[in-house]
Amino acid sequence: MHELGLSRSIAAIVTEHANERTVKRVSVAIGPLACVEKRALRFCWDIVTEGGPLAGSALEFVDAEGDEFLVKEFEFEEAA
Amino acid sequence: MCGTCGCSDPMNSVTIKDVNTGESRVLREGGLIPQNDAHTHAHDHEDHDHHHAHEGDDRPHVHGPNGEIISLETAVLSKNDAIAARNRGWFEGRRVLALNLVSSPGAGKTSLLEYTIRNFADDHPIAVIEGDQMTANDAERVRDAGAQAVQINTGAGCHLEADMIEEAVKSLNLEAGAILMIENVGNLVCPSMFDLGEHMKVAVISVTEGEDKPLKYPHMFRASECVLINKIDIAEAVEFDERQCRENILSVNPEARIITLSAKTGEGADKWFEFLSHQYKTLK
Repeated sequence: MHELGLSRSIAAIVTEHANERTVKRVSVAIGPLACVEKRALRFCWDIVTEGGPLAGSALEFVDAEGDEFLVKEFEFEEAA
Repeated sequence: MCGTCGCSDPMNSVTIKDVNTGESRVLREGGLIPQNDAHTHAHDHEDHDHHHAHEGDDRPHVHGPNGEIISLETAVLSKNDAIAARNRGWFEGRRVLALNLVSSPGAGKTSLLEYTIRNFADDHPIAVIEGDQMTANDAERVRDAGAQAVQINTGAGCHLEADMIEEAVKSLNLEAGAILMIENVGNLVCPSMFDLGEHMKVAVISVTEGEDKPLKYPHMFRASECVLINKIDIAEAVEFDERQCRENILSVNPEARIITLSAKTGEGADKWFEFLSHQYKTLK
């Protein structure tokens, strides 16, 4: 499906709140009717985040209900 | 690139072409990294305490075992949905009936539009937004049939999004009381997810596609309030079982209104026109 565009949307939402700090992990909730393919989303995630503030961050999935598709939370890398 | 949907080149940009004036412009630049020009400042966070305002953003945050966790709970498609809601309000305020036509490539959406523009005897002007990856062929076809048309080329994209409609509508100078037909990119998967602000989705399936299409792509048929079975004039030649097809549509969407027609011969088109008139009359 269109996981490339969805990855970009997730990256844009997190980037907006991350204020250029390094992000370690992003958690996304996906319901069974959301029509989102997790493997494709993860594949695209590495590509869309490459070279930006989210590069190297892990994309995690949690289960959700119905067609829910949310960016749940993200975690900053601890400041060195 | 996008492993499952057939998008080939993510570097392509989205363009919009007004086929009446010939003007073309870029709607979205190509490229993979999301554009975010709001955060160009350097941000030094050595020995930060966690009570500083996050540059105008005070999202709740807690501390995990390693780092700070920011809770968002933001719908991934929230931006699209917000623009779609705005489009919907815009249409309602002008009593514009906006329909989002979805189908596989080749089901006959453009032919249906041509037939409708030429034969729908009603007072409402019809305007068309055409979505395709490449070429302005379809917009030219509906323009030649007599409707105002604008073409969106999505480049790599496999569906239309609400902001593209918002822009396209500006080029159309839509009259109040118009019927706006949005012909989505031929694709039975992605367009089901993206609200454009339309009154409803209308799915088109042709008899050559097989009776089980609704079962193979249930999300789209569930999202569409009306399903048109097109090319009924050649049903016999391809041994199409209409009863079975209707059963399959209703099994994924019991509420669907199903109309059988031929955009070539006009058979059954009166039912489609009645449906359009009824939708217009019952617009809120």
